Amino acid sequence: MPMEVTAELLGHTTVVRVVGSVDGLTADTLTGALQSHVDEGRIRLVCDLSGVEYTSSAGLRALLGTLKAARQQGGDFRLAAVQPGVHRILELSGFTSILKLYGDVDTAVASFAE
Amino acid sequence: MMTVASNGKRKRVALVIGAGSVKCAAALGLWKALGRNGIELDMVVGCSGGSMYAAMMALGHDVETCERLTRQLWTREITAKRDFRSILGGFFPRIFGFDGNFATIHDARLNAALRGPFGTRRFEEAKIPLHIVATDFNNGQKVVISEGSIFDAVRGSVAIPYVWKPWRVGDRLLLDGCMSDPLPVDVAIREGAEIILAMGFDSPYPRRVKSASRYAFHVSSIYTNNLLRANYSFHNLAHHAEIIPILPEFSEQIGLFDTHKIPYVIEQGERATEVQIPYIHRMLDAVNV
Repeated sequence: MPMEVTAELLGHTTVVRVVGSVDGLTADTLTGALQSHVDEGRIRLVCDLSGVEYTSSAGLRALLGTLKAARQQGGDFRLAAVQPGVHRILELSGFTSILKLYGDVDTAVASFAE
Repeated sequence: MMTVASNGKRKRVALVIGAGSVKCAAALGLWKALGRNGIELDMVVGCSGGSMYAAMMALGHDVETCERLTRQLWTREITAKRDFRSILGGFFPRIFGFDGNFATIHDARLNAALRGPFGTRRFEEAKIPLHIVATDFNNGQKVVISEGSIFDAVRGSVAIPYVWKPWRVGDRLLLDGCMSDPLPVDVAIREGAEIILAMGFDSPYPRRVKSASRYAFHVSSIYTNNLLRANYSFHNLAHHAEIIPILPEFSEQIGLFDTHKIPYVIEQGERATEVQIPYIHRMLDAVNV
């Protein structure tokens, strides 16, 4: 399934919505889209994964790269609405212990105010 | 029909079957799905329970034969005889002697069962290149076996700590592969695979810890499951091969010897693979990915 990436600003937080698979064929596009936000100083990032059913190793690398870039600049990269299939992969690869996950976008956005 | 990349060179596809006892039968479902969709494997890597399936597949047995062989070899019968000599030696070493390793189950029945499908077979006979992972008891390092006796390799790879004794091959004493690398995707990477289908499983925790052996098994599972996550994370991030996790979902608990659930396990493996087939085809067709 092709991937689509869109973004909107909610207060001081940028919500990036991804629809499709994050894999070896699409990860570069996602990395580029997320990195452009970090480069422009939008370092409070929430990735809405409600439309993502699958991620491979390339997708994991894209997520981790964004996390490192955002945190290096004092921000954070948080995930929202992670679907069960993706959650299992994140859990298997230990990502659930280094990334903050939230049930929905609103909660993830609100977490930056805490 | 075999899928070929548009640059004319078919990408090398590996199947890695991790530790997981009966759950590893899900690899047979995966294999069915791949065969139905014309996707060929260039290598098979197996660890612990996964080594049995990897070996059977690599030797060219069809799915039905693999299922039948598994039902014959992996039964509760292979754990029916206690190794009292080893147990007594473990608890009273001064009286009974301790020979440097320990098991609660005598391995004669396991060995006899494994000799059925693998007795005289060698890696060199495999129709698909085969690699089996075990652990060196003396230094804890991963051992990748790619030549010689398949029986020796599988026997070493399934030597569950405290259950069966490690297995000597040459100057090495081999222990369960899951003690060093429960889902050895790195072996496939090293062997040049570009697309890696990784089928891994959590080691099950006993429903109730009601004996010392179950306690030992439970503790081993804790180690193994944490090692699985640590290794899998590292290999996903450190390499650029495409690792495609295929994780069957089981709505019911699958115990160590629940071979009667193998048809269900195979079905779940097939189902989990079918979901990934379009993506695997796209990866095979893609250039420079």
